Amino acid sequence: MEEKFLNILYLYPDMLELYGDYGNIQVLKYRLEKRGFKVNIASYSIGDEEPNFKDFDIIFAGGGADQEQSILSEDLLKYKNKIKEAIDDGVFFLLICGAYQLFGKYYKGVDGNIIPGLDIFPYYTESISDRKKRCIGNIVLNVNLNDKETKVIGFENHGGQTYDIDTPFGTVLFGNGNKFGDSVEGFFLKNVIATYLHGPLLSKNPELTDYIIKYSLDRKYNENTILKPLDDSFENLCREQLLNRFLNSNSPS
Amino acid sequence: MTNNAIGYVLKTADKKVVSNIEGNNMETGILSTLIKNCTLTGKIKADFLVFEVDEGYIPVVFQDFPLDTLVILDFFRDQLDRNGEVETLILKINEFLKTYNNNLILNSDDPNVSRLGKANPDNKNIYYFSVDRYKYATKEQKEAGEGKFCPFCKTRLEYEYYQYSHIGKFKCPNCDYGNNPIYKLATNVDLNSRTFDVDNITYKIRFNSIYNIYNLTAVIACTSLYNIDTDIVKNALSKFVLNNGRLEEVNIKGVPTIINLAKNPTGSNVSLRILNEDDDEKELLFVLNDNIADGFDVSWIWDIDFSNLNNVSRIITSGKRAYDIAIRIKTSGFDANKIEPYLNLHDAVQNLYKTNIKKYIIANYTALQPTRKELKL
Ligand SMILES: [Zn+2]
Repeated sequence: MEEKFLNILYLYPDMLELYGDYGNIQVLKYRLEKRGFKVNIASYSIGDEEPNFKDFDIIFAGGGADQEQSILSEDLLKYKNKIKEAIDDGVFFLLICGAYQLFGKYYKGVDGNIIPGLDIFPYYTESISDRKKRCIGNIVLNVNLNDKETKVIGFENHGGQTYDIDTPFGTVLFGNGNKFGDSVEGFFLKNVIATYLHGPLLSKNPELTDYIIKYSLDRKYNENTILKPLDDSFENLCREQLLNRFLNSNSPS
Repeated sequence: MTNNAIGYVLKTADKKVVSNIEGNNMETGILSTLIKNCTLTGKIKADFLVFEVDEGYIPVVFQDFPLDTLVILDFFRDQLDRNGEVETLILKINEFLKTYNNNLILNSDDPNVSRLGKANPDNKNIYYFSVDRYKYATKEQKEAGEGKFCPFCKTRLEYEYYQYSHIGKFKCPNCDYGNNPIYKLATNVDLNSRTFDVDNITYKIRFNSIYNIYNLTAVIACTSLYNIDTDIVKNALSKFVLNNGRLEEVNIKGVPTIINLAKNPTGSNVSLRILNEDDDEKELLFVLNDNIADGFDVSWIWDIDFSNLNNVSRIITSGKRAYDIAIRIKTSGFDANKIEPYLNLHDAVQNLYKTNIKKYIIANYTALQPTRKELKL
C-alpha cells in the first residue's frame, strides 16, 4: 500500500514566528505520524522562489511584530490570486493573529497607517489608539466542528479589533474575542480557520487538530478517513484543569 | 550574573564595591542600593559602583550617575514582544549612545548588540568581545532567535556558525556589517574541563555553559579596562559561583542536582544545552507556573528545543502548567510513557527522587523558590 501523506506549507517562518505558533505544525505532524501518515513541511519566505500554493494540503501562517507585517503584506499581495485559487480549491488555511488580519481587507495601525490586506475575506482590523490596551489573556471558545460542539482553549494577545465577521470561528465563553468584550472570535469557513488564538492553538485542542487532519486527508484521497484514536491523556488532563480554572472561577487568569 | 562577577573580581582585587542585587535593576532599586551605602552626609564610600541596569533605564541611570563603562551582552525577544518592543528598546539605547563617549563593551556576536557600536562614530572607546566557535556550535540556527536581517541595509545576515540562539559569527553580505575589531576573544572553550583562553591565559571557571563563557569574557574585557591584574581576575573567576538557582549545583540525598531558572525560551535552551552536553544518564524536572510575574502566556515553551535529549531517562513536570509542558515535551518526540506530570510540586519532587539518577531541574520565575524550598535548600 502506498504511504499516504500531507504537504504543509509554512509561510514566513522567519517573520511570523512569535510565541510558539510553529507548535501548531509540530502538533499536526505529531498526530499524523502517530497514525502512520507522512508529513512534508515546506516553508516560504521573502526572497524564496514562488511556492505552488495548490500543491499543498495545509497552509499555515502565524503572527509577527507590527513593523514586519507591512513588509510581509507587500510580499504576500503578489500572490493574492494564487492564494485565492488555493482557497477555492479547498486547500486548508490555518491563520493565526497577524496572518488572520492580513487575509482581510486591511489593518489600520496606531498611527493611522493602513497596511493593505489580501482582501480575500470581508473583515477588516483597526488598532485602538492606546498602544498599551490589548486583548490579552486566556480564552475559551465554543466551536462547532462538523455539527459537534467542542471547547477550544487558547491565549489571545492582540491590539487590533477585527470587524465585519459573519462566520466566526467560535463563540466566546471566556476572554475577549475579535474585539474587547466580543461574543465571537475568529473567522471560519470549512477550509479556513483564522483566529487570534495562540497557545499554540492546536496544542490543547486535539479535536480541532483532528478536524483539520481529517478534512485534509478526505479531500486529498477522496474518501471518508477514520482517524485512529491516540493517547490524549495529557491533553485531556490539561483541558479538564484549564476549563475548570477558567470557566468555573471569577479570577481573571 | 555578569554584574555579580565584575563585582566579585573587583572585590578580589581589594576594591570597595557597591552593587545592586540582581533583579533590582530599575531606577528605584539602584537608588535604594545607594542610600543603603551612603554616609549621613550623602557620600558614597566606594571605589566602584557596579549596577545591573534594566535595558529601559540605561539612559536614565547614566544621566543620574557618572558611570564610565557600559557593558551590553545580548538582546532577546521575550514573551511579550508582539509589538516589536525589543526593537524599540534597542533604538532607544542607540539614541542614547549617539552622545555617549565613555567605555562601551559590546558582544560582537549578537547582531542586536554589535550594531550599537555604530551609534556614535566619534566614540573611541568601543570594545567588542567575542567567543571563538565552540564544540557545539551549529551551521543552522538551533533555537528560535533574532537578528535575521541586517539592521543597516535589511539584507538577510549570513552566519558562519551559531553558538546558541542568534549568537554567532555573522556578517551582512551587502554592507559588511559584522566585521568588528575584537578587543577580547575567548578561544579553546572546553565545557568539560570548564576552561577557556583569553590573551593566552587559561581561565578555569565554575560554569559549563557557552552562555556564561560570553558573560565571563565580558567580565574580562571590563576588568581589563581598569587594569586589574590578570592573575587576580583568573583567581577570582576560578572561585566565582552563584547560589540562587542560577545553574546552582547541589547534592540532594546524595544525588547530584543542577537547578536553573528559565523565564523564557533562551534560558530554557541554555539549560537544555548544558544537559545535552552531559553524557551521564539523567532525569529532568520542569516546573512551569503562569502567575502574574511569569506572564499568563506559556506558549513560549514551544520555542524550547526539546528534540534529541541526550540520555534522559525520565521527565517529571509540575507547576500550574504541568500538563502544558508535558504536552510540549511529548510532541517533540520524547516517549510519553517516560513523562510524569504532577500539578502538586511536593508529589513531583517526591517522585523525582525515587531514583538516584542525576537530576536537572528547570523552573520558571515563580516556580524557582517553591522548588528550592521543596528541595530543602
Ligand atoms: Zn547590511
